[in-house]
Amino acid sequence: MSDDLLATARSIIERARPREEVEAFLLHQREFSVKTFAGEIDSLSSAEPRGAGVRVITEGRVGFAYSTQLGDADLDALVELARANASSATADEAVALPTEGGGSEQLDELIDPAQEQVTPDDKATFALKLERLTREADPRVRNVEEAVYSDSDSTIAIASSNGIEGSYRRTDAWCYSIAIATEGDDTEVGFEFDLARGMAGLSAPDVARKGAERACRVLGASKIASARMPIVFDPYTAAQFLGVLGHALTGESVQKGRSLFAGKLDGSVAAAGLSLVDDGRARGAPGASPWDAEGVATRRTQVISDGVLTSLLYDTISARRDGRQSTGSATRAGFKSAPGPAPSNLAFEPTGRSRDEVIAQAGRALLVQDFHGVHSGANPVSGDFSVGVTGTLIEDGTAGAPVKEVTIALPMLEILGNIEAVADDRRWLPFGGSFGGATTLVSEMTVGGA
Amino acid sequence: MLDRDTIGKVLAEALRKGGDLAEIYVEDRSSSAYRLEDGRVEDVAAGRDRGAGIRVISGDRASFAYTNLLEEAALLRAAEAARAGLEGASAPPPADLTEVEAGPRHPAKVDPTSVPAADKVAGLQAADEAARSAGAEVRQVIAGYADVRQRLLVARSDGAFAEDDRTRVRFSVQVVAARNGTITTGFEAPGHSGGYELLEARPPAEIAARAAEKALRMLDAKPSPAGEFPVVLAPGTGGVLIHEACGHGLEADTLVKDASVYAGRKGERFGGETITIVDDGTVPSSWGSFSVDDEGTPAQETVLFENGVLVGHMSDLRSARKIGDAPTGNGRRQSYAHVPAVRMSNTNLLPGPDDPNEMIRSVKRGVYASQFAGGEVNPATGNFVFGMSEAYMIEDGEITYPIRGANLIGNGPKMLGVIDAIGHDFMFWEGVCGKDGQHAPVTTGMATVLLGTITVGGTEA
Repeated sequence: MSDDLLATARSIIERARPREEVEAFLLHQREFSVKTFAGEIDSLSSAEPRGAGVRVITEGRVGFAYSTQLGDADLDALVELARANASSATADEAVALPTEGGGSEQLDELIDPAQEQVTPDDKATFALKLERLTREADPRVRNVEEAVYSDSDSTIAIASSNGIEGSYRRTDAWCYSIAIATEGDDTEVGFEFDLARGMAGLSAPDVARKGAERACRVLGASKIASARMPIVFDPYTAAQFLGVLGHALTGESVQKGRSLFAGKLDGSVAAAGLSLVDDGRARGAPGASPWDAEGVATRRTQVISDGVLTSLLYDTISARRDGRQSTGSATRAGFKSAPGPAPSNLAFEPTGRSRDEVIAQAGRALLVQDFHGVHSGANPVSGDFSVGVTGTLIEDGTAGAPVKEVTIALPMLEILGNIEAVADDRRWLPFGGSFGGATTLVSEMTVGGA
Repeated sequence: MLDRDTIGKVLAEALRKGGDLAEIYVEDRSSSAYRLEDGRVEDVAAGRDRGAGIRVISGDRASFAYTNLLEEAALLRAAEAARAGLEGASAPPPADLTEVEAGPRHPAKVDPTSVPAADKVAGLQAADEAARSAGAEVRQVIAGYADVRQRLLVARSDGAFAEDDRTRVRFSVQVVAARNGTITTGFEAPGHSGGYELLEARPPAEIAARAAEKALRMLDAKPSPAGEFPVVLAPGTGGVLIHEACGHGLEADTLVKDASVYAGRKGERFGGETITIVDDGTVPSSWGSFSVDDEGTPAQETVLFENGVLVGHMSDLRSARKIGDAPTGNGRRQSYAHVPAVRMSNTNLLPGPDDPNEMIRSVKRGVYASQFAGGEVNPATGNFVFGMSEAYMIEDGEITYPIRGANLIGNGPKMLGVIDAIGHDFMFWEGVCGKDGQHAPVTTGMATVLLGTITVGGTEA
């Protein structure tokens, strides 16, 4: 599969004219998904999508086009369309393809070799078991909205007229279940999931138990009075917070003045002792790859170091604009979009305490397990952060009354300044990227309640 | 797009091991998008995507496969993949195909592909100039133009056959303004089902000027108070609340799973006599409209709440089968690569008798919600949160100053109970709705509305 794909990529770049840079990105996937409801298979889905995305650069103008049809005439039309698009773009000397690729590099851990032996029946059995275990995890779970197992086997190939060339394969598997728990008049929902390179790496019992716990823990929740108080993010909400920050940490968003970090490079942006790292090769993380979406080798980038913003995340064009090197941070949403910079696997470095120690340190605090309305309430441009939350009150290190229908708010730079501890319980969560969430203590935020 | 002979063979193959219904959805989509930022046209993208999705429904189970190869052999392979897991005897042969009576079409008057690229670029530049000339504090302008033409065909083994040809155009402007470390944004993004004529009715410079005005006004904003207040919702944008808090819970796939706060409550009163909410996929040229849905059911108007009482729901083929009634034309999918789900189209709270200015005058201390940045609801509980990107304090019946960081938090069914007044100044608002990892263009419509009391989240305790 990878040889064919690379051959197609090569044949696309052979269509380059003199003084043109051409890049071809190809993706070929096999996908499978099974969803269960009420102890039965609700739906099965399988597919084998593939396609190509092409960038053509002429005299500093870049155009992009994609196609799912890869015959000779289709490829001629594809390159021609990208070329025509380039002629509408504004010339910009920063616009160029990378000249140094990491195409020959491989990451061995991206494939679970056992996954090829897993049959569709095995996968359906897994999903049915996940649903059953979720329902049985707690008597208050009255329904499981759905249990899902999905996987994909992807081959990615790239070639450019600058000599970049490579292909790699990865396998991914993930599962989730949604528990609906009821007690008295109150209903709560608990979503939990797991991801790995193959089905063998997924734990249905853990997902079932944690999902039921997430729903049952907040049954009977009520508002608390408005106050300023310490907030503890659990790994879920900590990862979602990183997801918002991630948008603002790219060179492109800062250069264009649409980041809360604009003008802050080399300045203090977070509490002393706090460090934030983006690691394109983090082992087992969903965003790991040998090279990025334009073929540049991935690496580890220290974004915040002891509270100071030390680097942004760059693709080739944004790096050239700042006179820097790409950090291997180009990403794409499949072959239908041109690359742009984004975090790969972004996480705070742990500050040396366990989850229990961090919770004990918090005193009387609100432990937040779910954010509501993040995409409207958190603004990576202005830094405003005001979201609805569900969680539990913690007092003297133990979890107490469940809380809902309250909001927490504070500008994001102040939240970063108030982070006192990051526990060692990191897990990778795919919230519009790959973010490492760990139990995180913020010394004070505004709670809006009754 | 595909001859009837091939369609017949594919449907027959899909039913070779049993099944109640087989369906093929064929799509040919061309899109183009232009984006300006920093005064430069940076992203110009276009593409063509063709493929077919094949589905077999057997009892409560559906299986699905898709391919982007449209040759007969590839389609037959996809049909075989789509019947995975079925082991029964062959189902009866597919019925003869008969074209369904589609709802109104929403044709493009000016085909976007006939408009020179230079005109689209000029539109972006006009937006950039208009936004930047609105005030020295404008720091960044991001303008986008996008068009998509989607030709599709749906054929089912029960004989239903439908075709649709949809063109949608949208123009968006985001403006960033800054003063003394305070950064604000303003956003406007009108769109419609139709062609390039959108930009005659809504000139880019005007769209940009509105977005800039919002960003500049919000520079004077003070932190929002937190607590329980009366809230006046501006016309148009406030419909997002109806979409999230009432609409999602009335999508029948959620109802049949008993995962909706509205399940089993038909006939119950949720609010006053003036509250009537409909989902209407036939609104002429509206962004959320279509002539047939993505399963071949004609678009229609469905009444959800009538005079405050829950009377209806929205369904697709599968959920309608489970409930035992006819689908309402709300089976939509993002593309041939996606399984249909129950989705809204144009969801509207119909206008009422009240005077918008009088509503503001009646508020002693409260919030005027001028624009929402988006929201989120949990259909099982009805709990929602909405962020306001533009909002103002109301004091002693007057709008006094802008506030930032405000959001609304509450519960859908309860919210209908606190609608105290509905104005006559009905407007539409276009958006993109996400569900099950799929995006769908949707419209909401609403006049000015007064909520008697609701929780506002903000930074001032």
